[in-house]
Amino acid sequence: MNRVRAVFEKKDRAKYISHLDLNRCMLRIFRRSGLPIWYTEGYNPHPYYAFALALSLGFESSCEILDFNITDDEMSMEEIRDRLNEVMPEGMKIISVKPQRKKITEIAKAEYAVSLETADPEKLLADVKALMASDEILIEKKTKRGFKTVNIKPDTEIVKCTVNDSALEIVMRLPAGTQTNYNPSLFLDSLKNAGSQPFSVKKICRTGILRADNKAFE
Amino acid sequence: MLKEKIEKHLLEVQKPSRYIGGETGSIIKDISKIDVRFAFCFPDSYDIGMSHLGMKILYSLINERENYWCERCFAPSEDFEAVMRENDIPLYALESLDPIKDFDFIGFTMQYELSYTNVLNMLDLAGIPVFASERSEELGQIVVAGGPCVCNPEPLADFFDLFILGEGEEVNLELMDLYNEMKKSGATRKEFLIRAAQIEGVYVPSLYSFNYNEDGTISGVETKDGAPAVVRKRIIKDFDKVYYPDNFVVPFTEIVHDRASVEVLRGCIRGCRFCQAGFIYRPFREKTPDTICGETKALCGNTGYDEVSLVSLSTSDHSQIDEMLTKLIDYTAEERINLSLPSLRADNFSEELLEKIRKVRKSGLTFAAEGGTQRLRDVINKNVSEEEIMNTCRIAFEGGYSAVKLYFMMGLPTETDEDIVGIADLAQRIVDLFYSIENRPKGKSVQISISVATFVPKPFTPFQFEPQDTREMIEHKQKLLMDSIKTKKIRVSYHNPDVSMLEAILAKGDRRLCKAVYAAWKNGCKFDSWDEYFKYDKWLEAFEECGIDPSFYANRRFDYDEILPWDHLDYYISKEFFIRENKTAHQAVTTPNCRQKCSGCGVTARTGGKCFE
Repeated sequence: MNRVRAVFEKKDRAKYISHLDLNRCMLRIFRRSGLPIWYTEGYNPHPYYAFALALSLGFESSCEILDFNITDDEMSMEEIRDRLNEVMPEGMKIISVKPQRKKITEIAKAEYAVSLETADPEKLLADVKALMASDEILIEKKTKRGFKTVNIKPDTEIVKCTVNDSALEIVMRLPAGTQTNYNPSLFLDSLKNAGSQPFSVKKICRTGILRADNKAFE
Repeated sequence: MLKEKIEKHLLEVQKPSRYIGGETGSIIKDISKIDVRFAFCFPDSYDIGMSHLGMKILYSLINERENYWCERCFAPSEDFEAVMRENDIPLYALESLDPIKDFDFIGFTMQYELSYTNVLNMLDLAGIPVFASERSEELGQIVVAGGPCVCNPEPLADFFDLFILGEGEEVNLELMDLYNEMKKSGATRKEFLIRAAQIEGVYVPSLYSFNYNEDGTISGVETKDGAPAVVRKRIIKDFDKVYYPDNFVVPFTEIVHDRASVEVLRGCIRGCRFCQAGFIYRPFREKTPDTICGETKALCGNTGYDEVSLVSLSTSDHSQIDEMLTKLIDYTAEERINLSLPSLRADNFSEELLEKIRKVRKSGLTFAAEGGTQRLRDVINKNVSEEEIMNTCRIAFEGGYSAVKLYFMMGLPTETDEDIVGIADLAQRIVDLFYSIENRPKGKSVQISISVATFVPKPFTPFQFEPQDTREMIEHKQKLLMDSIKTKKIRVSYHNPDVSMLEAILAKGDRRLCKAVYAAWKNGCKFDSWDEYFKYDKWLEAFEECGIDPSFYANRRFDYDEILPWDHLDYYISKEFFIRENKTAHQAVTTPNCRQKCSGCGVTARTGGKCFE
């Protein structure tokens, strides 16, 4: 049995596929591909596959991770990739298929490219800087036991900000994985509340899934 | 471009993937090579419309033609409709995201009377005049409808340019071919409609006018421009060879019937006297087990569905049911596909067949007994005897089942209190049966669910002449039934009788009802089939505004010699047959099914002596 890890992108119209729907969609992709995917051996056998992280509805991604097992050890990684790509829906594409190297628990962060549409990008940039200079960024995070106030400041990394004509492009890193997950929308809500420059979110794209040392998770 | 405008607001609404297309299996074409564009509209939400088999068939069929493009369109939910109206987004088709007002055909499938207001709302959202008479003289924007409800299309007559009666697999393309030819020659809408009326199965309501007697009944129908006095529905002669898609559009969001479906037969041999589908889809035709199996394999392979459902009015009436199920169960078991088998009748379950079914079926048992006593079941020609129900239940209980669902109707012709009490008695005897069986499922209680619908008289049935019970009568019967049930092992659920009354009014209505449908929509009615949107008071207001007495349609007995609003439409069954069957019903005498004996419904006379093999 071959344990493999696919990296795929989810863009354009595919960003409207919710995580729950993506699960069902993936099952059908596997069935259409005819790949010898490994089934669980319990009372109700079903194809085994797992997404490393959930992606919010409306977010694009260039780096989603999907693990599954192929029962045919002879099958090449390229063949698996190509057969899946033949039956993928519009906007979704497998970039690579490789053997699973690291454990899912090693995922620590995710990187996002955020594009904010605004009349005055320079002023919005100043708002971002002011927010990051503050001692804490408190947000209300929904948990199983109601809401909880969390300071996301220490774990929020702004990698880069670029100003262009009508938008501010931010590259940021946030905790992700089995322990803590911060959605970039939490930061953006704080920015909206604390800042003075109005903006609308044009696009959010996950561009990297990283380990604690900022290396790509593979 | 519309796409940007839509996307700007898409994340503000529930289940956005319903509004943006891009699903696997959806067909995209190069617009510069297209001659005729067809918007296939379903007058309900995406989740419901995407489950409709007819749309899948006709979508693929039209798209097989290189120069024709069929796209899908559904009624947006309330939240997205608000977004559309606020931001001037006209109703658009899901493949190209182009406004449907620019299409050549805007085709609706009319599956249910309570979706009529959605048609008006969708036309309005599209920016198309809701009244056919207000549409441009130019050729284009032809608003058409098909589906079971158009067997009496009169309450919709003012809103449509034409109706397509019967099966669409051939006539839709003939209609589009005629359009294509006439568009090139610069014809007008009117010229096209006059020519279209000559195609068998096409009914152009503007070429027909009705006259009425003083008592409100119809005195006559006049035709003009050479339109035929009687329009006959279309049927497919070689059903085994009829076009069937090898792929479906596979939605991302979960829909009501989220699976592959394969049609095994069309029509019904049973002749239950209340059932419209049992008559309007005649003659009975079936596909061979090989065809069914081949279509199943192609569909499952191309869509990736892991569930397939057999579609028909009564799957167990297939003459080769054993061979068919054996083949299908072998294939689906190997491929780990769930096979779902709705519409299996109680009266021809064999232990052998049940064993096969049990391998694949996990749900409970459902019987449509419809009537509580044998006398009433004879009246409605539901040839299921209590003995057969008990036998099937016994086999099922011994096989481990403990839940049984029973469907009944209330307000059937000749029904008395005794028949209502009979429903409770029958359910009680099933409970008793369960506890009398030695090897019943241990540690389990039996659960009988009774679902009671209100009888709705429908056109093209022997009960088309019958009045519907009034609300008071239904309420009395509901109370009587509740009082007759003595155990918690029997659970009862009802349909809303107001919904059933509106169904009857619209099903049996004539052309004068169009203005009431319009008024109801203007009063805010839409999604009438959804409990949370159903506004009966608004409908009653609409009838009053238009001077219409709804009981004239729902609660009045129509005379045998009265001209019915649908008498000028021919569904292959003669009115004489319906009258004969109605009389037989009142004598509580049954009619044998088509396989036992031909009852001369009129199909053979019209097809030239052949009904089914």
